[in-house]
Amino acid sequence: MGSILSTFGALAIGGIVASATIVGVVSSQTSPSGESPANVNQPVIQYGSES
Amino acid sequence: MSDWRGWVPRAWSLALALLLLGPALGPGHLLTYDMVWVPDLAVRPDVWGVGSGLPRAVPSDAVVAVLDEVVPGALLQKPVLLGALVGGGLGAARLVPGDSLAARLVAVAVYQWNPFVTERLLLGHWPVLVGYAVLPWVLLAGRRWRETGRLPASLLVLAPLGCLSASAGLATAVALLAVAAGGRRTAPALALALAANLPWLVTGALHAVDARTDAAGAELFALGPDGVLPPPLAALVLGGVWNGEVVLPSRDGVLAWLGLVVLVVLAAAGARRWVRTSARRDVVALVLCWAVGLVLALLTWAAPDAVGWLAAHVPGAGLVRDGSRLLVLCAPLVAVLAGCGAAALLARAAGPTTGTTPRVVLAGVLAAAPVTLMPDAALGLSGRLEPTTYPASYAAARDAVDGAGPGDVLALPLSSYRQPWWNHDRKVLDPLPRHLPRDVVASDELVVSDVTVAGEDPRVREAAAALAAPTPGERADRLAALGIGLVALDRLAPGTAPAVAGEVLLDTEELLVVELPGAVDRPVRTSWVVAAVLAWTTWLAVVLGAPGLALARALRGRRRRPETAPGRGPETGPETST
Repeated sequence: MGSILSTFGALAIGGIVASATIVGVVSSQTSPSGESPANVNQPVIQYGSES
Repeated sequence: MSDWRGWVPRAWSLALALLLLGPALGPGHLLTYDMVWVPDLAVRPDVWGVGSGLPRAVPSDAVVAVLDEVVPGALLQKPVLLGALVGGGLGAARLVPGDSLAARLVAVAVYQWNPFVTERLLLGHWPVLVGYAVLPWVLLAGRRWRETGRLPASLLVLAPLGCLSASAGLATAVALLAVAAGGRRTAPALALALAANLPWLVTGALHAVDARTDAAGAELFALGPDGVLPPPLAALVLGGVWNGEVVLPSRDGVLAWLGLVVLVVLAAAGARRWVRTSARRDVVALVLCWAVGLVLALLTWAAPDAVGWLAAHVPGAGLVRDGSRLLVLCAPLVAVLAGCGAAALLARAAGPTTGTTPRVVLAGVLAAAPVTLMPDAALGLSGRLEPTTYPASYAAARDAVDGAGPGDVLALPLSSYRQPWWNHDRKVLDPLPRHLPRDVVASDELVVSDVTVAGEDPRVREAAAALAAPTPGERADRLAALGIGLVALDRLAPGTAPAVAGEVLLDTEELLVVELPGAVDRPVRTSWVVAAVLAWTTWLAVVLGAPGLALARALRGRRRRPETAPGRGPETGPETST
């Protein structure tokens, strides 16, 4: 009985984690962080900005 | 381990790499920040490190310049990126002691799918990633050297491959010495580490006068937070890059904290198992690498002024200013502990009433955890790695410069980075210099968060002074006197570029190439050439030594074999130490 429960529990948790992974990957693709075009009036393109 | 179990980590590693790179493997050149690949990088003086600027891309540029004589740059770039990920993951899997398949899969995932990989990939630091991939293999080969007493031929290739950039070379040297030094191996290990790093060491020394970097860079490039994780915690998960632009959005939320917790729990669970099942020397080597990487990275965060002072006063000390780049040394231990932690948790889950399914599910969840916790790394970092095609003007500019009179090229405007529309409006180091068949004088100044970090190339300063002359004719004369025979202007880049007098060789929507009258070629100093030739010859000798050593051993083995008569058994004498 315990074995059956743990099997179903594991499958449920695994399914939830797998679904969350797929949803996470898909949703991050549908809202990509866009790059703003270079502003021709700015004096220079910066290498980056501090975290 | 049976055959299919051996193939599963390979398939998993390849699948993760393909998922992460995604569109980056499509046709065209992937250009992102410092990653500039061109159809054919010319074999010219500065790729060997004898140009006027610091040899920052030595030896990686020379290797690419030679290889892309055979394979076009766009084709070469793909296997390099794919190989850097897969090679690293498989190396990490091999470092895990025992035969737990789940442990290996977790090690692969942790090594290939983490903030260090995504951030360095987006920053375009591909030689660092090649060094990252080579690191576990260096540790494995070093261990074999220690155990057999014979220098593995593979190490003669791995060491130079791990030293394609200065910082990667330092990490490779630390790993090699940590795992192999001791007794009669110390001198050869030191010699190998030195020879593998010789091209950038020697050519860097030739520029020693200019190799002091702006102290302002130390604070800007120090270890930083990784999204919501403060710097010391960011370092534990191999994050903390200085540039907030390359940190993925998932690092800004609860997933980053969850990732930290999972990693710490796995490491804690796996530490005892790892120590118990590994050779003492391997434990010391991996912990030593981790400690060196972590301490140096934390130093840039805790004491940026001291790092800045060092960079400004000690030639070459600027190498350590990019704090999170040093975390490359922490990665092997992190992956191994995570793998061992997975094995330990699975062993604990194996109770008398527990079936196979829960353990398989747990193994799958742990192996996929890096993807679950950083989903936006998938498919080219959510589309941020997108190859492009150069406008035809770039090939035309190359032809124009090739057929022009003597002198080097000055790239204008005098700024380092571009963000052209044809690169999907993404930032990239000015790609024009790498397109051209001659040495190019280009700005090496960096602007970060509105703070300018001064460059080191004295010729750029001289060119800037020449451009300040009042008339186009005077500017052209002064530039020609510096050995500059052409000016190449990127019309799409912001910033001003004073006009210079000369013959227009190319005038397109993107580029303008002007030939200046009266320039002469600037000869490279003979002493520099001699020093560079010696360094490169030594480096090449190490690489070519690998097949030579393997062949010599094979021949020696063949010569010995007939002496072993049937029934006398194999040779049991000691192996020849190298």
